[in-house]
Amino acid sequence: MKKISVFAALIILAVVVYSNRPVAFDWQLPDDYPAPQVPYDNPMSVAKVELGRWLFYDTRLSGNNTMSCGSCHLQILAFTDGRASSIGSTGAPHPRSSMSLVNVAYASRLTWANPLLDRLEDQALTPLLGDNPVEMGMAGRDAEIAALLKSDRNYEQLAKTAFPNDENPYSVLNAIRAIAAFVRSIVSFDSAYDRFLAGDPAAISPAAEKGMTLFFSERLECFHCHGGFNFTDSTTHANTDRERVGFHNNGLYNIDQSGAYPEDNTGLFDMTGVVRDMGRFKAPSLRNIALTKPYMHDGSIATLEEVLNHYSRGGRLTKSGETAGDGRLNPFKSEFIGGFDLNDSERAQLIEFLESLTDKSVLTDERWSDPFAQ
Amino acid sequence: MCLVCAAACHQNRHPINIEFSATWAGQPLTCSSSDPSLTDLRFFVSDVTLIDASGQDYPFAFKADGRWQQEHVGLIDLENGEGGCVNGTKETNFRLTGSAKGIDFDGIRFTIGVPFDSNHANPLLADAPLDDSAMHWHWRSGYKFLRAGVATASDGFWIHLGSTACEGTVQDISVCRSPNRVTVQLAGFSRENNRIRFDLAQLLDGVDLTDGVKSDCSSGPSESACVAPFEALGLPIGSLVVRPMPNIIFEIDH
Repeated sequence: MKKISVFAALIILAVVVYSNRPVAFDWQLPDDYPAPQVPYDNPMSVAKVELGRWLFYDTRLSGNNTMSCGSCHLQILAFTDGRASSIGSTGAPHPRSSMSLVNVAYASRLTWANPLLDRLEDQALTPLLGDNPVEMGMAGRDAEIAALLKSDRNYEQLAKTAFPNDENPYSVLNAIRAIAAFVRSIVSFDSAYDRFLAGDPAAISPAAEKGMTLFFSERLECFHCHGGFNFTDSTTHANTDRERVGFHNNGLYNIDQSGAYPEDNTGLFDMTGVVRDMGRFKAPSLRNIALTKPYMHDGSIATLEEVLNHYSRGGRLTKSGETAGDGRLNPFKSEFIGGFDLNDSERAQLIEFLESLTDKSVLTDERWSDPFAQ
Repeated sequence: MCLVCAAACHQNRHPINIEFSATWAGQPLTCSSSDPSLTDLRFFVSDVTLIDASGQDYPFAFKADGRWQQEHVGLIDLENGEGGCVNGTKETNFRLTGSAKGIDFDGIRFTIGVPFDSNHANPLLADAPLDDSAMHWHWRSGYKFLRAGVATASDGFWIHLGSTACEGTVQDISVCRSPNRVTVQLAGFSRENNRIRFDLAQLLDGVDLTDGVKSDCSSGPSESACVAPFEALGLPIGSLVVRPMPNIIFEIDH
């Protein structure tokens, strides 16, 4: 009898010890894909991601209760909003287009042109608290987020589970950490292209395969900026210490032939003040690019066909209006955007390749879906 | 006896307050004023030094109060959230409280801004007043040193001032090439004359408030709307042609 009770005690002890140990987070990645980098002070956990999922979709995180993070990052559109440029909770227009969150965990820098932002925990503060333009409109009201965590029964439980070692888990900092963990968890490599790489030759069409060859050719140069497993040169991951960050002027504008971009969208220049940084933006990931129109930082190109026209010409010609100028002649343009000739069948092949980067599982995966809608 | 006292008193700290008020061309300016009304006026003050008649400096020590002041910085809030101040707060603070050695002063020097180390620390871990998210500039790293704005019936202007052209990453900024801290020196400040006016008409002297075009400046290197207020603040901006002027924005209210 005594033996049994000692045995039982050991089991209970083992369960207690085990349950207090953080379980390694399962990214559900295919073999050979590296895990994302995770900040040391915000380790991943299922509970934290779940808390973040609720917060991400909660309109109570906006000043007028009309908007959540998910309002500009719709799962069905690969976490973009389909607009040329986004609109904040109070109707204020944003100068830039909402970026996809799929695989943003691998981004070495966040947003379109910010050399300072390398952590989702820091980035999340801008849409939440920024007031120029107002996005979610919580500036000066962030204490309400902490209060919500504590007063809402669902959040009260989720926060305690997500931050079991915190005496007071109901803080803005923890809300931000949970949202960042949720967004970081949106990683997926299940496109036709990925299945092709994994050894299924029938996963993509022969035309798409030809398009892939064109994409990775020195003739078209696409891959210099949109290279690597995430199709952007601003990529990092857990197995590397090397930091790769790229910003490129792709010849969209050349106002007054001086190289200038519209004043509210000067790209890297706005952050550095260095003249040669005019019009330099991050090359976004091309994963799910067929779903994330319109294109470019300001949504000024409507379709993939027109994007190819833009790069084929080596820059955009704006004939009239306030932004008139020939972007092809922009003095700050990337050396990789020299233009190329493309016949109609090559154009179709390239489009088909870009469409093969669509990962449909992302659009419906319940791990990232809106819990309020269920 | 008197000599002993004078020497001893000289070594002791004495409480002193520094008060601020908002004016438009010398007249009081509030959120409820008209043509223009105030829409915002909040700013951080740091590096405060009192100066006596012989030119000697006496550093001002902030009295930490857990709300408006900590050791090296204080927040002045001259808007009350009413009228034109739609993005404002009800609470106001028009006074810095602290102490300095010395008794008789004839001048003051202060900085509009947050010291570098505090400016780039994590705002979610900061003590008041640096926990005020309305004053933080998340995407640039650092705080808005100054938020100021006015509106007329048909026009308006606001400015957010803070460090730009910062290098490094948000959690690890090494330098900001455009620090945009404004140092102000005023003669005539004393215990009796301790009220400082912030005259927005002078800050916005070069801004056209009659053209019906609402404009704003968020300290970006190519924002043409920043030229006039930056000139008034005595600051360069980006590669734009700016002619920094001596301070006429702040003056002692006698």
